[in-house]
Amino acid sequence: LPGRLKISPLFVALVCLAFCSRLSRMKAASICTNSQTGCHFLSLANLFDRVIHHSARMHGISNDLHSEFELYFLPSKNRVSRNCHTSTILTPNGKENAQRIAREELTEVILKLLLAWRDPLWHFHQNMARHHKFNNLSSNKSLEMSEMVHELRKGVQKVAEKMQMLGIISNSLGTLGSREALLASDSPEWRLMNDYNLLYCFRRDSNKIQNYLKILKCRIVPEHGC
Amino acid sequence: SFAHIPSTSCMLISVRICRDGGGKPYSESKILLHASTLEPHFTDCISRDQVTFRCWWSPGRLHNLSSPGTLSVFYLKKDSPTSEWKECPEYIHENRECFFDANHTSIWTPYCVQLRGQNITYFNEDDCFTVENIVRPDPPVSLNWTLLNISPSGLSYDVLVNWEPPPSADVSVGWMRIEYEVQYRERNATNWETLEKQPHTQQTIYGLQIGKEYEVHIRSRMQAFVKFGEFSDSIFFEVTEIPSNDSTVPFTLVLTFGIVGVLMVAMLIVISRQQRLMMILLPPVPTPKIKGIDSELLKKGKLEELNFILNGGGGDGLPAYATDFYQEEPWVEFIEVDEEDVEGEDKEDNYNSDTQKLLGLPHRTTEGCSTISYPDDDSGQASSDNTNLPAHDSQMLIASLLPGQPEDNEDTVDTPASETGERPLIQTQIRGPQTWVNTDLYAQVSNVMPSGGVVLSPGQQPKIQDNTSSSESKTQKGEKKNEDKEGIEEQTKNEPRFQMLVVIPEGSEYSAESDAIQTSTPPSSPVPGSGYQTIQPQPMETKPAAMPDTNQSPYILPESPQSQLFAPVADYTVVQELDTHHSLLLNPPPSQSPSLCQPQHPLKAPMPVGYVTPDLLGNLTP
Repeated sequence: LPGRLKISPLFVALVCLAFCSRLSRMKAASICTNSQTGCHFLSLANLFDRVIHHSARMHGISNDLHSEFELYFLPSKNRVSRNCHTSTILTPNGKENAQRIAREELTEVILKLLLAWRDPLWHFHQNMARHHKFNNLSSNKSLEMSEMVHELRKGVQKVAEKMQMLGIISNSLGTLGSREALLASDSPEWRLMNDYNLLYCFRRDSNKIQNYLKILKCRIVPEHGC
Repeated sequence: SFAHIPSTSCMLISVRICRDGGGKPYSESKILLHASTLEPHFTDCISRDQVTFRCWWSPGRLHNLSSPGTLSVFYLKKDSPTSEWKECPEYIHENRECFFDANHTSIWTPYCVQLRGQNITYFNEDDCFTVENIVRPDPPVSLNWTLLNISPSGLSYDVLVNWEPPPSADVSVGWMRIEYEVQYRERNATNWETLEKQPHTQQTIYGLQIGKEYEVHIRSRMQAFVKFGEFSDSIFFEVTEIPSNDSTVPFTLVLTFGIVGVLMVAMLIVISRQQRLMMILLPPVPTPKIKGIDSELLKKGKLEELNFILNGGGGDGLPAYATDFYQEEPWVEFIEVDEEDVEGEDKEDNYNSDTQKLLGLPHRTTEGCSTISYPDDDSGQASSDNTNLPAHDSQMLIASLLPGQPEDNEDTVDTPASETGERPLIQTQIRGPQTWVNTDLYAQVSNVMPSGGVVLSPGQQPKIQDNTSSSESKTQKGEKKNEDKEGIEEQTKNEPRFQMLVVIPEGSEYSAESDAIQTSTPPSSPVPGSGYQTIQPQPMETKPAAMPDTNQSPYILPESPQSQLFAPVADYTVVQELDTHHSLLLNPPPSQSPSLCQPQHPLKAPMPVGYVTPDLLGNLTP
């Protein structure tokens, strides 16, 4: 009997630990990886918050890099009228437009943009690291930027999947986005861009992504003020 | 950045302006440059909410183009390769402003604006922009402040400033993410203190000084962008000293200092009057203390040393030993060992007087001094009525306190020789009715005299008298059995001199001797164990009804002294000394009238003054 009495509180403690760990897993505390299937428990609002925070950080880094470039390089006259390789992607140009178009379309636009910038940013980082054009801080930022694009795309894909699972958007998302994005990434335009233009374009596009995500979240996850 | 000046101006200026972190946007520098020109130009294009934007122009000083309608605004939106210049969708001529509403505004799309006159187009390539880059949010509204806390010194305080985001900026949807920059300064200062930009709608300002008025204003900016909006209207606040603090702080200080001072004074009083306070708070328990003798000696049972001390310390006398063991206890009242008692001859004289009184030696009777029985006035000093015994007689007296039948000699300690010696002595000395048994030599102490004499009952007399006396004693005992102890106690109190005393060999403080030693004042409280105590541990309280003749118990029966005093002299006897055999020597009762009061030296037995040590006691008992 005393042996039993000794074991039982320990057993209860173990059970509690197991429960608590499961509960914590159920709560939106940990970042879900691709392989983990338990991410379904993460709420959509939390997912949106994560990707929005991520995109804000990405835009901040791109802005920093762009400012540093302007210190080193004189901007050309036509800096405003340059064309970005993502100009072929149709994007809503205002708040009303973003609020008007379909959610699937908006999600698709985001995914397209993110996919279109995957390769250019990677090459940009390679270029910077190879030629030692900037200090280590800028080099680290470029690396971080390319990685962030990659992660953000995956995050938005997860959001899209969840939305599709919840029935918020239709399942026609996947194929369209990938095709156009592939087209955009295959275009040779981006290879012709110099670094400064690339940074300028990416800064603009990251701002687009950030705003689109905000609008999308406001449309899907009801919050006060939306 | 380069500034391209139209060729109509004679000046060609190329300026490179570096932008710092939050420095002037280049449009300001553009305005600066164009101010020198006289041509119409755009002064600024600003968007407040990232949904619409406005452009303002200036007509310049040339060509008199200030009248409205002479200049028109055209813009180019480069959202497609085939875009064209279009005219301003909405003019506000009084402000020289062109307003682009939401339908004509595209974010992330490059715009170029130009002014067109009659035949001239005034265009500057720097007038191209994208809308998100020209956003200057409105300043926050509803500025408010709250006092957080005041420093303990009462000189500085912290303030929390809170506000509302500008209503024009759609922050709830998240279309614009705004960060704020708070600036504050003293009312009459010129420079602003700037705090770090942060996106929350509140900010704490630390370290403001009491009594000074402060001014705070805030401006906002889009996150990750450069251009700030206008500053908000300033708010003013001031925190003055709170008078209650002033009154409480010194009050508490005064209180604490006062308490500390009072405590110190009290402690000083306690320390200075420690002895008196000790007397008051902890009255000393008067234990008998002999001056010059450490009580530890007694406790250890080193009575040989005590004997040595009391005997005069080998001639040095007691004063040499008076090392003042109790000097630190001034409240101790010493029971002084009378030095006269310690010294030899005086001791003997006193002792002789005492013993003679106690024993009722014949010299008293012969001398006629009648001070034997009434030693009230006797304070133990050497009196003239010292009885003395013949030397041989004194030595021969043997205490008859020990039990023993006349025919029973086993109880007597005395040697037969002494007995035999005593018998004639007693017989010779005794007059009148023989109060002494011829052979018994035991007597019952009925009472103890104040002078130290022991009143013996004539129980040892012939049977008749024994019976009578015993009966008397019995009756008296029966009547005054309860009073005996009291009487003895009283007498012990009144006259604290005893010649006969016993030390209870328990290691407790010897008390009888202390009582026997002269004290100037009687002890305030009865010392426990004071009074005379019997040799045996069974004191008087046991067996009070023992008959003298039937019970040969060795203790002494106290009886009323008065009746005995007036009885023939056989009522009492005096224990004179211990002889060499350590037996008590009694004086025979003074049957004859005392004629002589000359002091005589009765016995000279080597005995410590007045007390019996336990080892001596051992010799006493049979």
